[in-house]
Amino acid sequence: MADETKSQQSGDKAKEATVYDGRLFRRILSFLGPYKGRVLIASVLVLGTAFLGALQPKLVQLAIDNHVVEGDVSGLLRIVGLLALVLVGQGLTAFAGGYLTQWVGQHALYDLRTRVFRHIQRQPLGYFDRTPIGRLITRTTSDIEALSNLLSAGVVSILGSLSQIVFIAYFMFTLNVRLALVALAVMPLMFWATMTFRNRVRVVYRETRKQVSRLNSFMQEHITGMPVVQMFNREAEELRRFRGINDEHRQAQVKGVFYYALFFPAVDLIASLALALVIWFGGTEAMRATLTVGVLIAFIQYVRRFFEPIRNLSDQYNTLQSAMAASERVFDVLDHDAALAEPDEPRSIDECQGRIEFENVWFAYENLPDSDEPNWVLRDVSFTVEPGQTVALVGATGSGKTTIINLLLRFYEVQRGEIRVDGVPIQHLALEDLRHHIGLVLQDVFLFSGSLADNITLGDPAKSLTDVQHAIDLVGADRFIDVLPDGLAHEIGERGVTLSHGQRQLVSFIRALVYDPAIIVLDEATSSVDTETEELVQTALGTLMKGRSALVVAHRLSTIQDARQILVMHKGQIRERGTHQDLLTLDGLYRKLYELQYADQERTAA
Amino acid sequence: MASSAHPLRRLNPYLWKYKGLMIPGLLAALASAGFAIVVPVVVREAVDAIPRMVTVHKLYAGTPVEDFLWRYFAYTLVVIGVAIVGLSIISGVFSFLTRQTVVVASRHIEFDLRNRLYDHLQKLSAGFYHRTPTGDVLTRATSDIEKVRRYIGPAIMYAVRALTTVVTVLIVMLLISPTLTLWALLPMPALAVVIFFVSQLVHARTDAMQRQYSTLTSRVQEALAGVRVVKAYTREIFEAERFEDESRDYKRRALDLALIDAAFRPIMQILIGASTILVVWIGGRLVIEGTITLGNIAEYIIYVAIMTWPVASFGFVISMIQQASASATRLFEILDTAPDVIDTERTDQAIHSIEGRVTFEDVSYHYTDGGPDVLRGLSFDVPAGTTIGIVGRTGSGKSTLIELIPRLIEPTQGTVKVDGRNVQTIPLDTLRSNIGMVPQEVFLFSDSVGNNIAFGELDAEQAEIEQAALEADLLANIEDFPEGFETRVGERGITLSGGQKQRTAIARALIREPRILIFDDALSAVDTRTEATILGHLKKHYGQRTIVIVSHRISAVQDADQILVLEDGAIAERGDHDALVEHGGIYADLYRKQLLEEELAGVL
Repeated sequence: MADETKSQQSGDKAKEATVYDGRLFRRILSFLGPYKGRVLIASVLVLGTAFLGALQPKLVQLAIDNHVVEGDVSGLLRIVGLLALVLVGQGLTAFAGGYLTQWVGQHALYDLRTRVFRHIQRQPLGYFDRTPIGRLITRTTSDIEALSNLLSAGVVSILGSLSQIVFIAYFMFTLNVRLALVALAVMPLMFWATMTFRNRVRVVYRETRKQVSRLNSFMQEHITGMPVVQMFNREAEELRRFRGINDEHRQAQVKGVFYYALFFPAVDLIASLALALVIWFGGTEAMRATLTVGVLIAFIQYVRRFFEPIRNLSDQYNTLQSAMAASERVFDVLDHDAALAEPDEPRSIDECQGRIEFENVWFAYENLPDSDEPNWVLRDVSFTVEPGQTVALVGATGSGKTTIINLLLRFYEVQRGEIRVDGVPIQHLALEDLRHHIGLVLQDVFLFSGSLADNITLGDPAKSLTDVQHAIDLVGADRFIDVLPDGLAHEIGERGVTLSHGQRQLVSFIRALVYDPAIIVLDEATSSVDTETEELVQTALGTLMKGRSALVVAHRLSTIQDARQILVMHKGQIRERGTHQDLLTLDGLYRKLYELQYADQERTAA
Repeated sequence: MASSAHPLRRLNPYLWKYKGLMIPGLLAALASAGFAIVVPVVVREAVDAIPRMVTVHKLYAGTPVEDFLWRYFAYTLVVIGVAIVGLSIISGVFSFLTRQTVVVASRHIEFDLRNRLYDHLQKLSAGFYHRTPTGDVLTRATSDIEKVRRYIGPAIMYAVRALTTVVTVLIVMLLISPTLTLWALLPMPALAVVIFFVSQLVHARTDAMQRQYSTLTSRVQEALAGVRVVKAYTREIFEAERFEDESRDYKRRALDLALIDAAFRPIMQILIGASTILVVWIGGRLVIEGTITLGNIAEYIIYVAIMTWPVASFGFVISMIQQASASATRLFEILDTAPDVIDTERTDQAIHSIEGRVTFEDVSYHYTDGGPDVLRGLSFDVPAGTTIGIVGRTGSGKSTLIELIPRLIEPTQGTVKVDGRNVQTIPLDTLRSNIGMVPQEVFLFSDSVGNNIAFGELDAEQAEIEQAALEADLLANIEDFPEGFETRVGERGITLSGGQKQRTAIARALIREPRILIFDDALSAVDTRTEATILGHLKKHYGQRTIVIVSHRISAVQDADQILVLEDGAIAERGDHDALVEHGGIYADLYRKQLLEEELAGVL
């Protein structure tokens, strides 16, 4: 009884899954839409291939019955010539059809891949905080790859296999209905064997996959944690465990071998059974003179050809399944769009003055654990940066300095309050417009692989080499760039390992200068650089901030000394504000921070 | 080819080990092929017998013998049918046995190889892991082993089957008609050659495609890792275009491969089809001449079909062997790496216990030959049962220093001594089982919390685990976990906070009740109160344990018997807390800043 309910339930679930799969399947196919014409041509080619393939045994039959038996050599030559033509024709259609389906599939994949990439890139920073990069990489690469079998070969080759079956059956029935029926009598058996095998193998396959991943994660974990294993003398014990997992993996694989060992001979056996039936029944028919030897030979060939498409169909079913699983994950990414809303009628600032205002800004990245209460990182922050002014942000780690920068660039949306640039609330500006006016220089300079020039212009064709050279001259970085091999064309290795820390900072300054923004947002590097570059960095900073509004997370003594205004952040609030001297005299938080973070620099300078 | 086949020869001992499976398996392969070949002969008999029977039957039409003849001929046809099925069954059974032996043996060998590899990996020292990226080792342990297995199993099996089939079929065919055989097999060598070159091409193009695939992947990786810069400079479109360029290139390479792929099957079909056509044409003429029978044509058509796969498989097998040989080379590269930190003849196996005195005598260390010294001429002495604190900036060499004590690495100059003896003379097992170490980067295994703690002591009782958890100030946390000590951590379990991880690692070290306890900045992720609690627990064992505490926080080391301040790999200051504060150097400055920080954090 309980079993019955269970099977009923699983039946319902299966039905649900089928409907769902159908929808998913159609959605995948929609990516073939732009290539409809080509898909059609490919289908015709595949049908042609199937027909020409099935035609050949028929021609062999004609050759034997009409010419060989009759002793007609010239007729035999004619039909052999025709056979050759059909064969070459089949080869050509198969080639053209095969390549065309791949062509369509790869183009559809390209479309999907670039769409997913653009979609991901459009997401706000919060999305990247939440989603591990590894997962996003998988979505744009291997998950899409899993779809390739379906998009490029799947649909058309299923059509191919089906039409092969139909054409072969057609010729068999036109040659001799009774013999065709007898030969096809083994079909249910073949079908049953294939289905049984497929079901068994699927279970085994799942098990082996599980074992393989267990094995791999054990390996991965123990290679990474090898010092711990060795430190704690666990070698013998871990080897014992590894052997256990390895053994289970072997058992699962051996089980798989068993089914394959059974399946392949079984298919051969069923084919032989069909052959035996054809010989037996065909022979009897031949004695009644209702069947010729040519037909018998044609049937021997058809019987063999019949099984291939059946086997292919069951393979194709498997690739379909894994493609569906991958597509589900990919569509899941596409269906969740958290991109910031662009204003319907964006306002624009033509000539940016560089006035920044924060008014009663509150912000939280997330809620407090187990509550709806926001975990405020900024509380009621208000300040103004006048055009051309430099404002320094000072505070301990976690006091909210970086968050202010993130909000100004609208990497995140404020919960309360307003941020304005030149009097315009930043939500009313097009994102591109807003960020165009701001030059961001981070302390961890991110360099892309590519040439140094590309890293400065970030690929903007509007920035000419003269602009770049001008910026380099301004900061006086020609000294270090000239000594690089290939100068500006120098290829930056992965993550810019070929440049020193100070040099990378200079590159990011040049980058900002080339874009010539009205506002500079600077997160100063904490660690000191070598004395030679230090001097360069110092001058470059001056050049960079001259005539621009600057909001600086300050780590340098000179920056705070020169700043028009210092905002002292503490636990998400601005606690003190004023100039360096004012704040020192105040003898409050700033004094302590100064002692902690900046006083050393004075000492070393002195 | 001769030189690249060499690494595969090193697998022969494994093949020999499973000779009990391999030899019968290969014999079964022979038998299976042999029986399969008889089927076409039977078919020929049938096809030739049918017209004869028809003629004979017609001769006796109307006579009383007719009925008998009809029954006899029908019976003959049944016998022929049964023979075909019977032969297939026998051939099938042998084919089943082949896979069950040869392929299963290949799984056994895979199992052995993998055990050997893992066992060997456990013997290699930190130096090896510094040099070799994890991904690289992992690839060798998985896909390279799989490729080697394919050589042992399928490749050898196919080769034997193919060879048997081709040779026997060839003999049978030649016996029937040398002329027809020659014509029928004309396209076959071309087939093998085409397949070999095609699989070479496929291999090369797959490689090119895979390389572009990695480029594509790193493109995505970079674009997403640098997303902040991309967004700040509104370079999304440019990045998308760069990605599209790489995608386009990938598509091009995929289509390069598709071209070969699409051409491959038709070429194969044309070559096989050409054989059949030649059989019909030449065979037909021979039948007309009366040299052979129609049955021979049917027979030949089946032979051509039977030969196809074995001939084709020659091409695949060669390609498989080539790949396996490259993989085997990579595999043996690891297996040939000699473990460098091991017991030697200098080791005194009589040492079974350790008191805990740690001495460094003029120790220097550098990671690579000619590289900069990370430690420079360190000398100090920690009497058994005392505590030493080590402070210094990131990169000053603190972690390197302590890795020398349990011999995770060996000094490039000078001597590290425990109990006054060079650590190289103490059996590795004795040395390490008396040391409890909490590394800076905590590594836990995906297992239960309890098992992670018990990792330090194999046969630990539950009470001991609880005691260790208590001393690490972790017990209360664990009792709050959904399944207590059984709660899984890591990928498929709960995510521990940094502090919980550290305390788990501390419990793992404490449960060993080691003579020497090493904390490598092991309290960085816990707050000062928890730090005090844990240090308080440690004090209970005062005098019984040598404790080495590395920290960037003064509070963790200020009670130590002696404190070292490291700067650029050398000792800059030494003494106890009071003396160092008095001295007014680096330590005093660090101390002052810590007080300031505490004061700041206290401001509401």
